[in-house]
Amino acid sequence: MDAKRKQQVVFTAIKTMSFLVVAILVIILGFIFINGIQVISWDFLTKMPEDGMLKGGIFPAIVGTVCLIFGSMLFAFPIGVLSGIYMNEYLKEGPIKQFIRLMTDNLAGIPSIVFGLFGMAFFVNKLGFGDSILAGSLTLAILAIPVIIRTTEEALRSVDKTYREASYALGATKLHTIKKVILPIAFPNILTGFILSVGRVSGETAPILFTVAAYFLPKLPQSIMEQVMALPYHLYVMATSGTDIEKARPLAYGTALVLIFIVLICNLAANIIRNRYTKTKK
Amino acid sequence: MKRILIALLAVVTLANAQNVKIKGSDTVLPLAQKEAEAYNKKGVGKVSVTGGGSGVGIACLIDGSTDIASSSRKIKMDEKLKLQDAGKKFKEVIIAKDALSIIVNPSNTVSQLTREQIEGIFTGKITNWKDVGGSDMKIVVYSRESSSGTYEFFKEFVMAKKNYTSAALNMPATGAVVQSVSQTKGAIGYVGLAYDNNGVKQLKVSYDKGKTYIMPSMATAKNKTYPIIRPLYLYYNTKDETRIKPFLDFCLSKEGQAIVEKTGYVPLD
Amino acid sequence: MKKLFTRFQEIVLLVSGWFTSIMVLLIVFFLFKEGIKIFGKKPVEEGFVMAVHPNNLVNSISPGMCKDIFDGKIENWERLGGRSYPIELATLEDIGSLYTEEEIGSEMEHLDSCFNDYINKHEGALISLPKSAVSSSFKGKIISVKKISLNSFIRGIEWFPTSKPVAQFGILPLITGTLLVSLGAILFALPLGLACAIYMAEITNKRTRSFMKPIVELLAGIPSVVYGFFGLVVIVPLIQKVFHLDVGETALSGSIILGIMALPTIITISEDALRNVPVSMREASIALGATKWQTISKVLIPYSLNGITTAIALGIGRAIGETMAVLMVTGNAGNLTLSYLKPIRTIPATIAAELGEAPAGGMHYQALFTLGCVLFVFTLAINIYINFVTKRRRM
Repeated sequence: MDAKRKQQVVFTAIKTMSFLVVAILVIILGFIFINGIQVISWDFLTKMPEDGMLKGGIFPAIVGTVCLIFGSMLFAFPIGVLSGIYMNEYLKEGPIKQFIRLMTDNLAGIPSIVFGLFGMAFFVNKLGFGDSILAGSLTLAILAIPVIIRTTEEALRSVDKTYREASYALGATKLHTIKKVILPIAFPNILTGFILSVGRVSGETAPILFTVAAYFLPKLPQSIMEQVMALPYHLYVMATSGTDIEKARPLAYGTALVLIFIVLICNLAANIIRNRYTKTKK
Repeated sequence: MKRILIALLAVVTLANAQNVKIKGSDTVLPLAQKEAEAYNKKGVGKVSVTGGGSGVGIACLIDGSTDIASSSRKIKMDEKLKLQDAGKKFKEVIIAKDALSIIVNPSNTVSQLTREQIEGIFTGKITNWKDVGGSDMKIVVYSRESSSGTYEFFKEFVMAKKNYTSAALNMPATGAVVQSVSQTKGAIGYVGLAYDNNGVKQLKVSYDKGKTYIMPSMATAKNKTYPIIRPLYLYYNTKDETRIKPFLDFCLSKEGQAIVEKTGYVPLD
Repeated sequence: MKKLFTRFQEIVLLVSGWFTSIMVLLIVFFLFKEGIKIFGKKPVEEGFVMAVHPNNLVNSISPGMCKDIFDGKIENWERLGGRSYPIELATLEDIGSLYTEEEIGSEMEHLDSCFNDYINKHEGALISLPKSAVSSSFKGKIISVKKISLNSFIRGIEWFPTSKPVAQFGILPLITGTLLVSLGAILFALPLGLACAIYMAEITNKRTRSFMKPIVELLAGIPSVVYGFFGLVVIVPLIQKVFHLDVGETALSGSIILGIMALPTIITISEDALRNVPVSMREASIALGATKWQTISKVLIPYSLNGITTAIALGIGRAIGETMAVLMVTGNAGNLTLSYLKPIRTIPATIAAELGEAPAGGMHYQALFTLGCVLFVFTLAINIYINFVTKRRRM
């Protein structure tokens, strides 16, 4: 019976530790929520910062982040999905596929600050985009592409073989089969990847530090060649610089809450789509 | 919704006005921002301000993506050479001065230091507060990032060009220095006069080996008795002078200099 | 026509397929192109040279020595193998204050003769002067400063990239700092993460699992700057209080925050590995009368060890490259230490903090790209290792 006893002890420990993980999340979210909710108001979300960013709202930072999400997804989504299709449908197992997969994994593993360095050297300086939405979006796009490729590949792989065979049996070409049969089935899962990468892109700071983010702008961007403020960078600035950190603290909590809210919505949406899809498949 | 429309409208009208871009030092930023706010209200032109650092500002002046580069340090030799290579002539304007005060935790009993003592502390020769007349407590040195203009000025002007101790904590921004010093008992740091000094204690400083100690304040900075003071620069391309001049004149005018003082920087005389 | 269109679509697919590979190569190219430039350069301020009195026996000087001289730690030439003279330093500004404006000339055209004069009068002089002031009549002896080599870069213990007139590019403290926090993060995250993975995969029911899975995903989704902010306002003061430290910004604070950030990676991958253990293995173990825990510890964990090491490697990879959170909580002091209760400085934080102020194209800028290369090599090594492990598992 000693072994049973031991199991009981160990399982209790494991259970405690697991709930500690949940507790960590609850603490972080709760802390930011309790401190941040007090400053959230319609004015906070829609007003310009005022008085050296100690008053007013975060409207330009929200606009900036939305611009960056749109910009980066415009590049990342088509390329990611097409790349995923190519990998899963066209390439056969072999050294080439292994090489591309290794490269994709490498790209996914590169630290975000290195993307920032590259974005600065290539988009900002070499291609002469300057600090702009364009340069920032492209840098973020490269970061998001591996995520989209991976989810696309998984989504395609999970499509049942019989659909393919049925389509071919009806005389459809490969491209036609992919477009008309496989993609529609795999679409919800691909969408999940898309939404999750939106969440990721909206929170990245290091890649935009030297490619687009501005400390303070008195106006909204007018073209893609301009700098914008962005939520994550704004939070960083509010937390560390400024002439009066104590006064800026509440605004920092508010900004953090807005950021977390975006991520929360993305995760929730992704989960809903995933669940609905798995149910209908049954 | 209405607000968004107004904002959009403002954007459209903005596009027509003459734009001047300032980019660079994060130290000059709060000042440039307020000067720009006041100047923009006059409706003559529009000035937009972004930070990023003195180096970034000057790099942008070199490649032409900004009209004015703000800097908390003098332009460097190699940056001058690069501007020359790009075929650009530049002018330098000092718009204000910034006094640096030495700050410690309020619980610290030390209230004054000589320049030599400060040098000793920041180079790591003096590591305990009891060596400078305080209680037995380890000194924690807070500094700015090595690439900031403030870091270099402090090194050249206060530390006789000697290097900081490796044990110094480098904060990414001045606000973080104030924050940390207010939380850490044995801390010492330096910040601009413009920064809020709630929760920290400013020290009197002596530049004549302990004969007179001066408290940092707007008054002592203006009458030049407080020694640790540095100029803040704007650099611009001489080609754009006609476009930029009105804003510079505004900054140097009585009204502009009043803003300087209100923001916590030291006006020119 | 239709065929042409199909062909076109296939080409688009092909190009997209190779996109990531092209990007990786581009990143490598730009990173290393800029980063490699630092080697073989002399860490002297651009456009300047160092010179001594012609009778001085010293011919070359290392960057470290030069810094010690300017910091006042070395005061006599004897220490450098020369004759016993006190070292007298002079820079361009010193010359400017020693000589009148007339002597120097309105456009500094007589600068060379001023330097000449100074060096003739001071046998112990060590001066840093602009190259333009070195004319054919210059009497002083120009001494060479040792070039930056891969060895001095990686093993140098001082990082003073803006130090004048000779900068110090030693990244050993940055490397140890990075590794220290990453290791700490894994030590913190591994037990928690593994326990959570075992709990989700083997112990709990489906309902609890479907409740925990999104939580783990959410933990992965929170932006690093939010973690950094949380660390700054909660963890840092907490550490300072608990350990009675002078400063709360320590490697430990960084490790805890990074550990939390690495948790989702470790949990997800270990859980997958545990689930992939064939049912037959489980059944065999239970049939032999083993308890559930014995099955987990003696059968499942050893069987999925490869997957778990992958999880560890990926977790370390994420921790090594993490920038913003670390920048906000570790204090960024470039001292060489192995203590978790002291402030440290990591490679990504250094890049993020310094790139903005470094003059573009200068030596400091290049050194930061070299740091980027080092970071890239670290993560590449980890990825190749993971690739190797997963391949072995497939076989």
